Amino acid sequence: MTNDMRQALLHSDPRLSRFNPLERILFYDDFNQGMQGWTALIGNYEDSLDSMLPEYRDIRPPMLSNLSMWDSGTVGTLTGNYALKLATRPRPGSISVGIKRMTFRHAGPIRLEAFFTFKPEVTELRLAETDVRAVGVLFDLQVSDRTVENPLRIMPHIRYLNALDGKAVERWQYKSERMSMYDIGGSGKTRSHFHLAPEGWVDLPGGDQRLCYNEIATKHNWYYLRLDFDLKTMSYLGFRCNDCVHDVSEIEPMQIPAMPNLWCMLNSFFWVESDCDSRAFLYLDSVLLSAEMEE
Amino acid sequence: MRQSATATVELNTEWRGKFTAEPFEVAWASEAIYFIRALESEGVPGGVNARVQISPDGTHWCDEGTHVPLPAAPGITYARITHFGGWLRLVGELPNGAHLKVIVHLVLKS
Repeated sequence: MTNDMRQALLHSDPRLSRFNPLERILFYDDFNQGMQGWTALIGNYEDSLDSMLPEYRDIRPPMLSNLSMWDSGTVGTLTGNYALKLATRPRPGSISVGIKRMTFRHAGPIRLEAFFTFKPEVTELRLAETDVRAVGVLFDLQVSDRTVENPLRIMPHIRYLNALDGKAVERWQYKSERMSMYDIGGSGKTRSHFHLAPEGWVDLPGGDQRLCYNEIATKHNWYYLRLDFDLKTMSYLGFRCNDCVHDVSEIEPMQIPAMPNLWCMLNSFFWVESDCDSRAFLYLDSVLLSAEMEE
Repeated sequence: MRQSATATVELNTEWRGKFTAEPFEVAWASEAIYFIRALESEGVPGGVNARVQISPDGTHWCDEGTHVPLPAAPGITYARITHFGGWLRLVGELPNGAHLKVIVHLVLKS
């Protein structure tokens, strides 16, 4: 198929026209047919749930939401009735994560695109624009088992730090710093590290970006996000949110030695963190992961 | 084919005194079962229940009328619910000195 023909087909499909996918669409989820494989992140454990690292013990699971508000009723989504919703507990630092797990068959460029928005729980009649601490996106990747030299697990993390301790920040950040790895249980087979910890985040160069929060907490405007990464070189290729193309050419993803059972892993994550004693919500209208076509 | 999903709304959570299981959005579903699995149960007398609550907005809650028995020993209990609108949660209160360590599943079907 010629590229022109492919573009014409993509642009004539109202579901796909708002995306810019690479040649092969690995998945397209709009959450009007269920959660489509997006599930909760759970910490590793052996024998007892008490063996889980403390930070993992209360990661909140995703759900489907039609964005019903107390004042305006149902908002719905950009292209349907349901979004994937991540909701924290009502306390500072509480995190909710949605993860979709697969493996890759070609070590080349991949592109994750999403339409998302975030808002705090409406518990008071105020703007609450600093109640959500952060929303983020990351891949959890590991090279092929055919990799001979220095096999690695690679975890590119990017977050939008909306606010911290009640003060607006509105800046994209990344994380390269490795978190401590702990043995879990006694078998020697299970390890765990809390890579979403608050330590180690660094401002993305030129990463300031003010989003359309809108005037009150029950109004939702959808944002476009795109993260490009190369599975061959395990490096960032690009990152944009709405009209801002951010420079990721000089930043490194988190790297740790390869683990014994994660070969060709391709996991995509989104998460949200609360900054206060009300719940923080991240909504995903739709997510598309695409890849370069193998030969 | 009907849609279905199981949510683990509490995992290894300690309940003492008053408790609330995290709210969950269920507008797409028409039937639900709450399961309460007690990993630990101490001092919980028989006949103590959690109450199912519904809400129009996830903020304002009222009793739906269904009760889920709280396990008086390690084990699992349940209650079925229908016609619940957009939100569900569980609330309850344990007597002084009682505690539960629970996994709460919400099993949903369209």
